[in-house]
Amino acid sequence: MSFLLHGLLYGAVVGSVLLTVTAWAVWFERKFSARMQSRLGPTIVGPVGLLQPIADALKLMQKETIFPDNADRFLFRAAPPFMVVFSLATAAVVPFGPDMIAADLDIGVLYILALAGLMLFPVWIGGWASNNKFALLAAMRGIAQGVSYELPLVLSALVPVVLAGSMSLSVIVSFQAEHGWFIVWPPGPGLIAFGIFFVASLAETNRIPFDIPEAESELVAGVTTEYTGMKFGFFYLAEYLHTLVSAAVAAALFFGGWHGPWVSGLHWFVLKTLVLFVSIFWIRWTLVRFRADQLMRLCWKWLVPISLVVLMAAAVAVQLGEGR
Amino acid sequence: MGYVLDSLRSMGVTMRNLFRAPTTVEFPKVKRPRSDRYRASFALLHDEHGEELCIGCLACERICPSAIITVVQAPKRESAVTGKKRGWCADLTLDLNACIYCELCVQVCPTDAIIMVRTPEQPAFEREGLFLSMAKLYENEKLLEPSWGTGTKLLEMQDPKRGAEEAPKKPAPAAVQPTPADASGSTSEGSA
Repeated sequence: MSFLLHGLLYGAVVGSVLLTVTAWAVWFERKFSARMQSRLGPTIVGPVGLLQPIADALKLMQKETIFPDNADRFLFRAAPPFMVVFSLATAAVVPFGPDMIAADLDIGVLYILALAGLMLFPVWIGGWASNNKFALLAAMRGIAQGVSYELPLVLSALVPVVLAGSMSLSVIVSFQAEHGWFIVWPPGPGLIAFGIFFVASLAETNRIPFDIPEAESELVAGVTTEYTGMKFGFFYLAEYLHTLVSAAVAAALFFGGWHGPWVSGLHWFVLKTLVLFVSIFWIRWTLVRFRADQLMRLCWKWLVPISLVVLMAAAVAVQLGEGR
Repeated sequence: MGYVLDSLRSMGVTMRNLFRAPTTVEFPKVKRPRSDRYRASFALLHDEHGEELCIGCLACERICPSAIITVVQAPKRESAVTGKKRGWCADLTLDLNACIYCELCVQVCPTDAIIMVRTPEQPAFEREGLFLSMAKLYENEKLLEPSWGTGTKLLEMQDPKRGAEEAPKKPAPAAVQPTPADASGSTSEGSA
């Protein structure tokens, strides 16, 4: 019973906090990108446009849901909620503080990676059910990209697992609190693995420069082409949620999570997550999209071999460390 | 590797740009000054004695690339000011819906009767609102601020010599008077 209550409370708090952060992350990204392009961004709704996310959400809710002709209505309806559910569910195993974790699974990393793989299903369902060639093409690209980039993602996420000797995120973080963050210690594998993890999670979340499934210039709006109103809003929300949670996971896996100098705790975790989150925006508004073949080449010819080597190096480092 | 370095450099550029002041001018709140030659709509003018300048010569109707000017000529009669016979315009309409604001009608007008005005923002809710009748064009003369260009000014700008030749045409004989042949020529011309 207390387990259920614990899960319910933590779920409610984490869910609402993440959704709120996501809403204002959209506002922040709009401001951030605007300033990078010498524009102002949202200014009208509320002070410095701070109420813009609320206005956007209200607008999306009021909009009509349009079903395309001959669309598979059941699947068309089913895809958007699954997107949000899967991306929110990832947050369940993220340790926000020393004792702040919704579900301290022994297989936390596996759970996260499995959910990241599951995220491909709503994309495919939505693309298929839309009965639209652009959506279908986008879904196919999304699947191809997702399946390819899952490999370097998994291999690089295994480096901290090997180093800490556990799949539980809370154990990984407390191991880093004792022995130093994986990004700096042991020197080498952690840093490279973080780079690969970061790039692969950019690709997993379909952020620029890996937004081939969306590719506005080629595919209208990708999978969301036929979606209107809040159904589109769910896809949009899920994209940002997934990005935010990816940043949180990267912070936990490589940056020592809630551990930090002076006082350890939630604030360090939030800080690290937000820094990673902002750097994802920074990359998005700087770089241009890869071509599909460049994307595949980067994955299979560079990221996968390098992550294999790094994983091996991590294993060797652990063996040598134990032998000492 | 080159790609990574280039990416880092471009990220430096965007980060630098982040701390620059935005260049946006928030339009409805802040209005930037418009140039003297800003052109928005049209007006027909009267001369200083209150007589209509348009002589109904059809030059503007003929030159208009989108054929939106329609001129109806009136029979010639004496001007109340000079007493000389001149052309008159019975009706002149201009349809702004298709206007490309090329200002050619202003350039060809021999009497500087049609000009453009620089008062901006005159949208309309229906097409009729953008149709300028003759009454409206004369109303614009009183209500709106004229743009820089008139037919004469624009012609002078395109061909400065033309204006320079026309001005000293009358004193020209005086300037070459010293030579008798020229002087006789000019007198004979004058007598003819």
